[in-house]
Amino acid sequence: MPGRPQRALIASSHSLFGQGLLSLFRKRHADQVEVVGMAATLEEALAAIDQLDPDLVIVDYDDETLNRDEFLARFVEGEKKLRLVLLSLAAGEEALVYDRRSMAASQVDAWLEEWSATPGGATPGAPAAHSESHRRKTMKHLILAGILVILVTAALILGLDKVTLLPTAASAQALPIDSMFRLEFMVIAFLFALIVVFMLYSILVFRRKSGDATDAVHMTGNTRLEVVWTIVPLITVLTFSYLGARSLAETQRIDPKALEVEVTGSQWSWRFDYPEWGITSSELMLPVNRQAVLHLSSTDVIHSFWVPEFRVKQDALPGGEAFVRDLRVTPTQMGSFKVRCAELCGLQHAYMESPVVVVSQADFDAWIASQTGLPDDPVLRGAKWAKDFGCAACHSIDGSQGVGPTWKGLYGHQVTMEDGSVVTVDDAYIIESIRVPGARIVQGYANIMPANIGQDLSDAQIADIIQYIQSLK
Amino acid sequence: MSDRGRAGVFSIGLFRGLLGLVIGVVVGMGVVSLARLLSGLPAWKPEPAWVVGAVFGAAGFMLATGVLNDWWRWAKGEETSEHPQADPRLKGWAKYLSVSYDHKVIGIQYGFTSLLIFSLAGLFALTFRTELAQPGVQFLQLQDFNTLMSLHGIVMIGAILLGVGAMSNYLVPLMIGANDMAFPRLNAFAYWINVPGIVFLVSTLFLGGFDTGWTGYPPLSARAPLGMQMFFLGVYFIGLSSILGSLNVIATIVNLRARGMTYFRMPIFVWTAFATAIIGLTATQLIGLSFQLVMFERLFGMGFFEPSLGGDPILFQHLFWFYSHPAVYVFVLTGLGVISELLPVFARKPLFGYKWVALSSFGIALVGFLVWAHHMFTSGMAPYLRVPFMYSTLLVAVPTGVKFFSWVATIWEGKLSFETPMLFVLGAVSIFLLGGLSGPPNGVVSTDLHLQDTYWIVGHFHATMFGGYVFPFFAAIYYWFPKITGRMYNEKLGKLHFYLMLPAFYVQSLGQMQVGLLGMRRRIGDYDPALGIQFSHLLITIAGFVIGVSVLIAFYNLARSARWGEVAVANPWRSRSPEWQLTSPVPEHNYAEGIEVVGEPYDYGLEGSVYVNMHATPTEAPPAPPAVGQAAAAAD
Repeated sequence: MPGRPQRALIASSHSLFGQGLLSLFRKRHADQVEVVGMAATLEEALAAIDQLDPDLVIVDYDDETLNRDEFLARFVEGEKKLRLVLLSLAAGEEALVYDRRSMAASQVDAWLEEWSATPGGATPGAPAAHSESHRRKTMKHLILAGILVILVTAALILGLDKVTLLPTAASAQALPIDSMFRLEFMVIAFLFALIVVFMLYSILVFRRKSGDATDAVHMTGNTRLEVVWTIVPLITVLTFSYLGARSLAETQRIDPKALEVEVTGSQWSWRFDYPEWGITSSELMLPVNRQAVLHLSSTDVIHSFWVPEFRVKQDALPGGEAFVRDLRVTPTQMGSFKVRCAELCGLQHAYMESPVVVVSQADFDAWIASQTGLPDDPVLRGAKWAKDFGCAACHSIDGSQGVGPTWKGLYGHQVTMEDGSVVTVDDAYIIESIRVPGARIVQGYANIMPANIGQDLSDAQIADIIQYIQSLK
Repeated sequence: MSDRGRAGVFSIGLFRGLLGLVIGVVVGMGVVSLARLLSGLPAWKPEPAWVVGAVFGAAGFMLATGVLNDWWRWAKGEETSEHPQADPRLKGWAKYLSVSYDHKVIGIQYGFTSLLIFSLAGLFALTFRTELAQPGVQFLQLQDFNTLMSLHGIVMIGAILLGVGAMSNYLVPLMIGANDMAFPRLNAFAYWINVPGIVFLVSTLFLGGFDTGWTGYPPLSARAPLGMQMFFLGVYFIGLSSILGSLNVIATIVNLRARGMTYFRMPIFVWTAFATAIIGLTATQLIGLSFQLVMFERLFGMGFFEPSLGGDPILFQHLFWFYSHPAVYVFVLTGLGVISELLPVFARKPLFGYKWVALSSFGIALVGFLVWAHHMFTSGMAPYLRVPFMYSTLLVAVPTGVKFFSWVATIWEGKLSFETPMLFVLGAVSIFLLGGLSGPPNGVVSTDLHLQDTYWIVGHFHATMFGGYVFPFFAAIYYWFPKITGRMYNEKLGKLHFYLMLPAFYVQSLGQMQVGLLGMRRRIGDYDPALGIQFSHLLITIAGFVIGVSVLIAFYNLARSARWGEVAVANPWRSRSPEWQLTSPVPEHNYAEGIEVVGEPYDYGLEGSVYVNMHATPTEAPPAPPAVGQAAAAAD
């Protein structure tokens, strides 16, 4: 072991105590510890300390003639780097160590082992961190970093306030969600600042000087701190969960007089049915300030109903009645929005968007009236069905390439089927294509007609659609 | 076996294996066609032919590489050597392209394969990122966008799993003073089974693609093109590797620790590898199961998830996320271990709260099993599950917080130096912080109603992946590079890599979060210009390319330094960890003499303290005690 041996001073008026300890030291720590002196009284011990500068003083704690409190007062609170062990045989298994920690006898062993293995001069376990000047420096660093954390947090919160983070809030449900967002962003700003400031501070201040090959302070941990930074986050997240549940409940508040709309997703369009009036629409028309309950379902794969301005989102599942899910929205702002499918649903998922129009109650009533009366012209009616049932999502009317064959100039035209046969598009073929979509597929296309389309359309509606296709020359 | 001079390329295991794979696929297809013919069906049906072909192909691959040879001999009752040896005639590159049982070679095989497919997946990302720089469809059709986007996800996951395998394979035995993994043959098997897995994943590009994302939710995945099945099979084999590799890591840590290395004296990285392996061993089965059920639904019409056949699509999501949420901790825990491992070395200060940091990994692993349904808040699952899963989800913040606070306390009042590995570690902490802090808004149900399936989520998990895996992985590569190659990387290029990647990543991730909040959905090849997010998308794309360039610089640096780099000293970082007390590169049998642990791993600053005694043979008796000097014998 390099370095000079540790120097120990033994203080006891009983010579046996001293002798026993001395022989123990010789046996166990022969080359690492040097017993530099034995003192019988307090005065002697103090004089020997000044004279011999030992690293450790062992005091017979059972010796009534020594003033133990004086020792403690001088060395525990004093500036001198010195370790003091009060050994007691009477107190059974305990020994008092300089910093008033109580140790079991076995722990003292380990403590002495560590101490004696350290070359003289160094003070393991009682690192420089305990010295007054160092403590003052640490406090200075902590206070500075703390102030910076507060400043950076404030700057971040102000900065986030200036930026548009969310789209306009256009529903009653958006309010509790947005106030939750605000709270979250504030806490995020604080925690980000806390860690990053302390990191950057360390990076800037605690740099290694070039050529310095020594290590930093030996600080292995602090149980009290660890407990604090376990408990405080625990309380924080429990609070957030509690608040989160409350705001969730607010978004789910039920209005018994809500407007009912059946929302059906299909690859890749939305359909909106108003059962009260028997209306089917391709756009979601809603009166302002009245709760709407959307009964969501799908005809094929999973879709998800999301109007960013309304905030709330819900998947639409295939599978019929048992899989219908409700979403409640109370629009608070008139205007045009879009429902955007939020669950990947295949090829044209990106384009599965439909208009959402929020109007006044009067305009809504007028719209209902206009929808319930159907136009006399079958072509116009056909165009409406094509729109409402989502045909237009795949079949263009201007000849452009789509997922399904274009309707422009389709009627009366000859098309080649998958099996190579050629068919002239007439009433019979169109009816078959709608009623039994997979029966004959045009070459180059896949059968992705919505599964229930054959049942959803009446004969009259199909007849209207045929008229409409015929009109697209 | 074969003489290299004559057998040419087929003396190399990889090439032999690929030939075996092709033969296996053909045989498998033949078997299916024959069976169909015999049952009076038309012989050729692509889907069953490819699925069975792929299974046979994987078997053919493994047989041809020779990784099954010893087991085959056991089955026949023949003796094999106690310590399996690679073909000694293989030198240089050939050694790495063939079966080896040395954990260090396997670790490098994992690492190299990981970087290879990491680049591939990055390339996919840059391709569709370019498309997204502007709204509208520029050059990438939606079908191809969907396939590339889906492949980017799953190939990256493969890259990360292999990178994690690389780190735990190379480092765990070295760090605990072992000479190899517990099961070297299983170790080789677990690596090689990845190769057919990767081949199948990439083959989806040529078999119609798949448009479901890596999550593969039915019913969409039940209708997707043939590529879907190859995706399932690829994940299946990579998952098998993950399970077997985890088993091996656990057995190694439990059984092969050096004398005196108690659990709480292990280098902290080993704790995270341990926690990771426990998750990998116990959760991976569920993703295999969920994909297998869809596979059978497609092949045999079994309606597990199809409502019209009596199934339920929500069930899939529960099975899938029961693995796939804990999986993210598989991805990040080892990286967090690298952070905890490197900070004390570069701060010259003990790891603050070793036991807390060690156990926090287990805390994260444990809580990670109880949170999966937070991916399903909007899915239409039973509504009563939402609030309890919100509570459990946010609990993850507690052990994660312990790590952050302990890291900061470790560098506080340290003596920091900033070589490339330290820069990457510090960068990792700040980015993982960003990823971690963007988590609670998704974990709180009400705000998740807005965030679910948006680009916010994309930003969030890219931040966790970069902070928890990519940055630490690069830190690990630079840090252990001298140990692996015996040469030093180029410090200037390493720093350039860092200073390009860090700001670019911040731009990318914050940009993704911002557009997500404003209404950008995930997984769309085109977006509504009305959202006003074009400029952000342009920035994200540019940042993506800067990251790509920085990674190229890293590859150049590593390739060049491995060959021409300055010869490294044995312990350039003055680490206390046992692997650094060895020569570089590490000798073939690691610790020939055996080591003994006699102290704590991170006692930096404690003078005279020793962690590892490199010569565990008992030392001679201590010298006789000298006379005790008695300057003042007052008591006598």
